[in-house]
Amino acid sequence: MATLEIKNLTKRFGDFTAVDNLNLSIAQSEMIAILGGSGCGKTTTLRMIAGFTDPNEGSILVDGKDMKNIPPYKRNIGIFFQNYALFPHMTVFENVAFGLKLQKLPKAEIAHRVDEMLSLVKLENLNKRYPRELSGGQQQRVALARALVTRPQILLLDEPLSNLDAKLRVEMQVEIKRIQKALNITTIIVTHDHEEAISLADRVVVMNAGKILQLGSPREIYDKPNSTFVADFMGFSTFIKGTMGKKTGDKRQVLCGKTPIMIPASEAENIAEGQSCTLAIRSENIGLVSDTEGENIVSGKVKAVVYKGQHTRIELEGCFDEIIYPAITGCIEPEIGQTISVCLPADKLCVYSEDKI
Amino acid sequence: MSRKKQAILMALPAGLALLVFFIAPMLYIFIKTLAQHGLKDFTAFFKDPFYLEILWTTLRVSIISTIVSLLLGYPTAYYMARTSSKLKKVMIVIILFPFLVSAVVRSYGWMVILGGKGLLNQLLLAIGIIEKPIKFLNTEFAVVLGMVHLLIPYMILSLIGVLQSIDPNVEYAAYSLGASPMQTFRKVVLPLSTPGIISGCVLVFTMSMTSYVTPKLLGGSKFRVMATMVVQELNVNFDWGAASAISYILMAVILLIQGLIVLATSRYMKRMGGGKNA
Amino acid sequence: MHERKVSRSCCIIAILVMIFLVLPLAVIIIASFTPTALVTFPPKGFSLKWYANIFSGSNQFMNGLWSSLKVGILATAFDILIGVLGAVSICRHNFKGKNALLNYFTSPMYVPSVAFAFVLLQVFSQIGGVPGMLRVFIGHFVIILPYIVRNTVAVMHVFDWTLEDAAMSLGANPVQVFFKITIPLAKPGILAGSVLAFLYSFDEVALSSLLTTPKFVTLPIRIMNYMELTFDPTLAAISTLLILASLILIALLDKFAGLDMFVK
Repeated sequence: MATLEIKNLTKRFGDFTAVDNLNLSIAQSEMIAILGGSGCGKTTTLRMIAGFTDPNEGSILVDGKDMKNIPPYKRNIGIFFQNYALFPHMTVFENVAFGLKLQKLPKAEIAHRVDEMLSLVKLENLNKRYPRELSGGQQQRVALARALVTRPQILLLDEPLSNLDAKLRVEMQVEIKRIQKALNITTIIVTHDHEEAISLADRVVVMNAGKILQLGSPREIYDKPNSTFVADFMGFSTFIKGTMGKKTGDKRQVLCGKTPIMIPASEAENIAEGQSCTLAIRSENIGLVSDTEGENIVSGKVKAVVYKGQHTRIELEGCFDEIIYPAITGCIEPEIGQTISVCLPADKLCVYSEDKI
Repeated sequence: MSRKKQAILMALPAGLALLVFFIAPMLYIFIKTLAQHGLKDFTAFFKDPFYLEILWTTLRVSIISTIVSLLLGYPTAYYMARTSSKLKKVMIVIILFPFLVSAVVRSYGWMVILGGKGLLNQLLLAIGIIEKPIKFLNTEFAVVLGMVHLLIPYMILSLIGVLQSIDPNVEYAAYSLGASPMQTFRKVVLPLSTPGIISGCVLVFTMSMTSYVTPKLLGGSKFRVMATMVVQELNVNFDWGAASAISYILMAVILLIQGLIVLATSRYMKRMGGGKNA
Repeated sequence: MHERKVSRSCCIIAILVMIFLVLPLAVIIIASFTPTALVTFPPKGFSLKWYANIFSGSNQFMNGLWSSLKVGILATAFDILIGVLGAVSICRHNFKGKNALLNYFTSPMYVPSVAFAFVLLQVFSQIGGVPGMLRVFIGHFVIILPYIVRNTVAVMHVFDWTLEDAAMSLGANPVQVFFKITIPLAKPGILAGSVLAFLYSFDEVALSSLLTTPKFVTLPIRIMNYMELTFDPTLAAISTLLILASLILIALLDKFAGLDMFVK
C-alpha cells in the first residue's frame, strides 16, 4: 500500500488542455473519487497515473518515487477498465492468473491465490467460463479480481459501475467498499455519478476542464458545494439570482427580484453589499408550508407536477424570476394552476458571488 | 407468397446460372477426362519429376509470398488499426489504389525497374556497386516480389478489421498486470488476431497458387508454375489431357491445404467464440 | 516509452510498405513521358509521343478497350441483377443452409481461373461456333459473381430488417419495399462489389487468354501481346491511363460508398 502524490500535472492534446496543472495527494489506504463530466480530464489523469499516457509537465510520485520513465508494466498499479477489458480468449481463471503467471510464481501458489481472489469477489464456480459466457456483473467482478490479484500498490477504477443496472450497482458499491477495506489498498475511482462518488470515497475531487474545482469530504461536497458549477453537478436544482444586502445579526439579506431572502451571514462574508450573487438549494430542502407570510416564505403558481415515487417534484413559477423546483413528500399533491407557499430554510441555502460561477 | 418461397425465387437466377455455367461444365469435363483417359494423365503427372518440380515451385513461391506478405502486412495493419483517422485514410487509399490496378500494369512496372537495362541496374551501375548488370528479371525473386506487391493489400485488409476490433484497453490491461510489450503481443494481440491471420494467409496463398500473370511476366518463359503450365500444355504442347490433369490437381492441392488449415485451426476458432471474427 | 518504440517500428514498416506499393506505379507514370525507348532515370526530356502511339490503329488498343468495356459492363450488370437478389435471399431470413448457399454463390473464388477457363474452352469447342464475346462473358460473369454477392451480403448482414416491416406497415407493397428500402440501404455494398467485379473483369488475363478469339480480344491481352513484341513506353502510357481510371474510380467509390467498408 502506498501514497500517491500528483504535482503540477499537465497534459495537452494539440491546443486542448486535458489536465491543467493538477495537484493532489492521496494518503495510504485512502479511497478518493475523481468526479466530473465527460472531457473534464479525469480519465486522462487516470491514464497518466497508470503510465499509458505521458504527461507534458509535472510528476507523479508513488511512495515518494517519481514514476517518470517507468513503463506501465513495471508500475504495479492495478487498473479496472470501464468496459472491463477482459481477455476474450482466456477463461476466468486464466484472466485472473495472467499477472501471476508473468511473475513466474509456482503453479500451486497461482491456483491458490486465484481461488482466494475469486472467492473474495464471490465467483468461485465460474473458473472455466469465458468472459462472453458471463453476465455484466460477473465480468465486472472478474475484472476486479484480475486487477487485485497481483497485490498492486494502487488501484485505479474507471467508471466501475456505469455499465450495470441500478440494483447491481448498489450491490457492487457495497462489494467494492468491502474489498477495498479488506485489502486496505490506496484507490482512485473515476466517475461521473455524484452518488457513486459520495457513497464510495473518503474524499471527493470535483474536476472540470482539467482543473480541480473542489476537494473535500463527501459531506462537504454534497452539502456545501463551493461554486454553482459544483452545485449543479451535485444535483442542486434551484438557482436564484439576487443582490447582496445588509447584515442583521447573524443573518444577511439577499434581494431576489422583489423578494428578500435571509441567509446565514457566515455564508457570504466575502461578498460585498450590492454585489450580485446566486442562491442555490436542493429540491428536497424546499418545504411546503401553510403560512403565506414569514421568513423566506414565497408563493407561486404550480406549473407542473411530476410524481417520482419517493417524492413529488413541482415546478413553481412566480416566486422569483426563475422557476424553482420543490420536491415534496407526503400525500398532499397540488394541482396545476394552484397557488402554494414554500419555505427556503436559510441554513440550507448556498450563496455564490457572480464571479464564482 | 410465403417468405420462404420468396427467398427461393430470389436465389434461383444466380443459383441456376452458376449450376449451368460453372458446376455442370466443371463436373462434365472432370468425368469426361476420367472416362476417356482414366487416371493415366493424373498418374503421369505424379511420375514425372518435371511436373513435380513445377508443383513444388508453385508451392514454394506461394508459401514464401504468403509469409513475406504476413510479416510485412501485420505491422502495417497494426499501425493502421491504431493510428489517427487522417493518416489511416491516406494509407487505405494507397492500399486500395494498386489493388484496383491490373496485375499486367503492376508487373509491367516491376519489369521497367528490374530489367537488364532497368532502373535498378542503372542505379547500381551509376553508384558503382556493380560493374555488370545483375539479372533480376525472370528470376524467382522477381516473381515473389511481384506476388507480394500484388497480394499484400489483401493481407492487410484481412488483418486490419480484426486488429481494429481488439479493444486497446485489453492491451493496456496486460501492461498494467506486468506484461512487457513483447509479452502483450505474444499472449494477447497475437492470439486475438489469429482469425485474421488465418483468413489473410488462406486468401493470399490461394491467390498466389492460382496466379498467372505475375509468374508469366516476371518469371519469364522458363519459369513455370501450375497456372502457366496449363496454358503452355494447351497452346504449345497441345496436350489437353495433361492440361486437364494439371488443372484438377492444382484445384485439389488448394482445397486440400485450405481444408488442412481449417481443420488445424477449428479448435482454436471455437475457443475464440465460433470464429465470429474470421 | 517502450510501447512508442513498438509503434514507431510499425510506422516505419508501414511507410516502407506504402512506398513499395506505390513505387512501380510511380515509375510507370514517369516512364510514360520519357522521349527515349529505353526508360532512364532521370528522364532525358519530356514527350507525349507514346500517348499518341496508343491511338494509332496498328496496335488495336482502342479495339481492345471497347471489347473489355463491353464484356466488363455486361457481366457486371448481369451479376448485379442475379447477385443482389441472391444476397437478399441469403440475408433476409435465418434458415438452415444459409451459409451453404453463400458458399455456393462464392464458390467460383476457390477455383483457379485457368482451370475454369480450360473447362469452358473444352465445352465451347465441343459446341462449336460460340462467338468470342459470349465465351468471355460467360467466363467473366461466373468468376466475378462472388465479389458482388460477398460485398452486398457484408452490408446486409448488419441490416435492420425491421425497416422492411416498418415500410410495409406504412403501406408499401413488397416490390416498393425492395426498391425504396432494401436496395438504397444496400447501395454501398452493391456499389463496392460492382466496382471490384468490373475491375476484375476488366483486368482479367488468365481466363481471357484462353477464351478470346482472334476477332474478340480484350485490352489486357492486347497489352500482353504488345509486350511480347515491343517493350517500349507505349505500355507505360496506356498503363498510366489505366492507373488514372482506377484513381477516379477510387474517388467515386469513396464519395458514394466510403472506403471504410473495405477495412471492416
